[in-house]
Amino acid sequence: MENKALFEKLSSRLDELSNLPKLDDNKSISSLIEEKGFSRREFMGWAGAMTSMLMLPASFTPLVAKAAEMADRLPLVWLHMAECTGCSESLLRTATPSIDSLIFDYISLEYHETIMSAAGWQAEHNLESAMKKYKGKYILMVEGGIPHGESDFYLTIGAHGKTGEKIARDASENAAAIFAIGTCSSFGGVQAAYPNPTNATALSNITDKPVINVPGCPPSESNIVGTLLHFILYGTLPALDAYNRPKWAYGLRIHDACERRGRFDAGEFVQQFGDEGAKDGYCLYKVGCKGPYTFNNCSKQRFNQGTSWPVQAGHGCMGCSEPDFWDKMGIVHEPLGNRLYHTVFGGLGSDATADKIGVGILTVTAVGIAAHAAISLVKKPKEW
Amino acid sequence: MIKLIEKIEGEAKLNFNFKDEKIEFVDIEFMSTRNIENILKGKPAFDALVINPRVCGICGHAHLIATVKALESCYENLQISNKAKSLRELTLNFELIQNHFKWFYLTMMPLFGHKQEVLKATYPSQLMGKAIALFGGQYPHTSYAVVGGVVCDITEMDIIKLQHYIDKTVQFVEENLLKMDSKSFSTCKSVESVLKYEGDLPDILRQINAEELLEHGKSYDRFISFGESSYFKKGKSIKTRVNNNISIDNVKESEMATSFAKNVSYKDKYYEVGPLARAMVNKNQLILDAHKKYGDSIFSRIIARVCEISQLLLHSTKLIKELDLNEPSYIEPSINIKQLNASGYSAVEAARGTLIHKVEIENGIIKNYEIITPTQWNLSGGTREKMGVSQKAMIGLCDVKTAELVFKTFDVCSVCTTH
Repeated sequence: MENKALFEKLSSRLDELSNLPKLDDNKSISSLIEEKGFSRREFMGWAGAMTSMLMLPASFTPLVAKAAEMADRLPLVWLHMAECTGCSESLLRTATPSIDSLIFDYISLEYHETIMSAAGWQAEHNLESAMKKYKGKYILMVEGGIPHGESDFYLTIGAHGKTGEKIARDASENAAAIFAIGTCSSFGGVQAAYPNPTNATALSNITDKPVINVPGCPPSESNIVGTLLHFILYGTLPALDAYNRPKWAYGLRIHDACERRGRFDAGEFVQQFGDEGAKDGYCLYKVGCKGPYTFNNCSKQRFNQGTSWPVQAGHGCMGCSEPDFWDKMGIVHEPLGNRLYHTVFGGLGSDATADKIGVGILTVTAVGIAAHAAISLVKKPKEW
Repeated sequence: MIKLIEKIEGEAKLNFNFKDEKIEFVDIEFMSTRNIENILKGKPAFDALVINPRVCGICGHAHLIATVKALESCYENLQISNKAKSLRELTLNFELIQNHFKWFYLTMMPLFGHKQEVLKATYPSQLMGKAIALFGGQYPHTSYAVVGGVVCDITEMDIIKLQHYIDKTVQFVEENLLKMDSKSFSTCKSVESVLKYEGDLPDILRQINAEELLEHGKSYDRFISFGESSYFKKGKSIKTRVNNNISIDNVKESEMATSFAKNVSYKDKYYEVGPLARAMVNKNQLILDAHKKYGDSIFSRIIARVCEISQLLLHSTKLIKELDLNEPSYIEPSINIKQLNASGYSAVEAARGTLIHKVEIENGIIKNYEIITPTQWNLSGGTREKMGVSQKAMIGLCDVKTAELVFKTFDVCSVCTTH
């Protein structure tokens, strides 16, 4: 029953969207899919995977497919602030019928510095006219931390030398929805690491509008696309955790769904890279994995079209979707153990779960880690 | 007459100065910085392995390999297995290849009036991204290379997958970029033999000829390349005279008053880096022929970059065949990093040219870190008396559109330049 009500709600949202004019009358999604050589079956397969990722029942697949087809009703503005362009790069590698089809052809990507052909005056004009023409309707995606306050001169863009802070604030003002793509725009990112020379900060700190954070360094392509699809489907903001991350993607810890979790539970740890345990896929906690402290769906979604993810490759999670992970999650190749670090939760850090109720889980995890560490002393562990 | 034209390439700005309707000088400014070198100071040395790939999302893997090699150069008698060396080299090759595809299809083609063919850029670059992820876990931003080797333990099955990705990429090249057998392409010694074929590359090269752009984009005709590998050689080439005996001690960074990026010179002279430079130092016959006919022009730069795709794909197949999976992936260093007081450096070839990292460590903590990126070499903003490489290449052109084309043949990227 519950599913039926949701199905109807999402259907009527999509019907509503389908009444909106397309941004380009000469293009339709189905014809583009065909043109690019993708069969309907392939497209539906992709929609099925997306449905499952968004934690919707399989019967919702046609709705997700329709949502993707509705993407050409929503203009998108993508801004680059202080960043490395890794998030855009992640996006460019999305699975078929790829976000490249989606984002470049289906969606009217009104402004994207890296991939648009325009530059200089023309680019600046494009941004301004997109913001004016689609006032209150465009989706804003921001990549990069924002040099802030008296340090805003560390990032100026465009012919008029506007600061990144001003551009981001102006673009936020009239957006239909705002997504901070990547850890930099979500939390400040690498440039905000101590001593934060450019005073870089999160997008949410420079605008009063609600910002949905899609952190990760980079976030997986599926989390970026999923965020967009979710907005198209629901028309509202998703359920969020304490750090404004969508719960469908960031509701579980890396540790909860890790393929090496069984090894952790069995007390089987890699003691140093290259040892027999490493060859056998033992748990990477003792060589610095921060999976128990990190909320993300990497183990399920993986990267590069589901090819792999850091833990599969034998390197621990680095906690890249957590605030200030640069300063809080170091030292890279040593376990965090019972070290406390300071975040907005006053020392609990990301161990407080997505719902701020994780104190218990923290304790359980810490006890668990200590217990397993104790029984796994087959070899002298590295100095903690 | 001064004509201000913005070029948003990340955050770089070009001010074109015209005299008698010709470009007389171009100011190059970088309008942002993240100050990552300062962030690295005081951090545990191995943390650089996670931070530095984030200097650039476009060539982050080159930064990882440069970091690990710089840290390793701080040790004495460190052992690295041949397998680990090859795996690192392979993943770096793949990053170069996927970059070249994106440059050609996303940046170059539209400048020649063609449609921006996004799918042609992303299909092969996705394949190469997967190939990196197979070893590295994810791309961009892997941290699979650590001091002492790599953390992945690959199997025969991974090798089969990898070869599949390479074969599919070769197939794409042969069906789109240059419609001829890649092996025959690798033995081509003359430009004419390439121009006989169909494909997106010969199309563009023919267009350069038809539009009389062959003389465009010439600079100092000085090339340099520091990153050595089983494929690339270290050296400098002044015109075609190659000298392999070069030292990183002669590389100098200097601050600019108007820009956040620093200039880079070798013995106080500006040198071009990148695929053309590598090919000149490696004495690649086809590129030497292009250079003989058209000098260090946009023609030579384009053919050199695209040609490198096929060469690196073939070379990667060779590396895979020679891999011995029984060798260790990682050999633990005999000294704990916390006991290390040393300094070191590394140079690797990234897609756009030589990338240099220098590090100083005290008790395992980073005391100083310097990064010199490829774009800094090519886009050094010199003075009117002593111009940078790309500045010189734009002088004398009559319009900004052609200047943009010349500028972009250097595959400029301000992302890591504004580190």
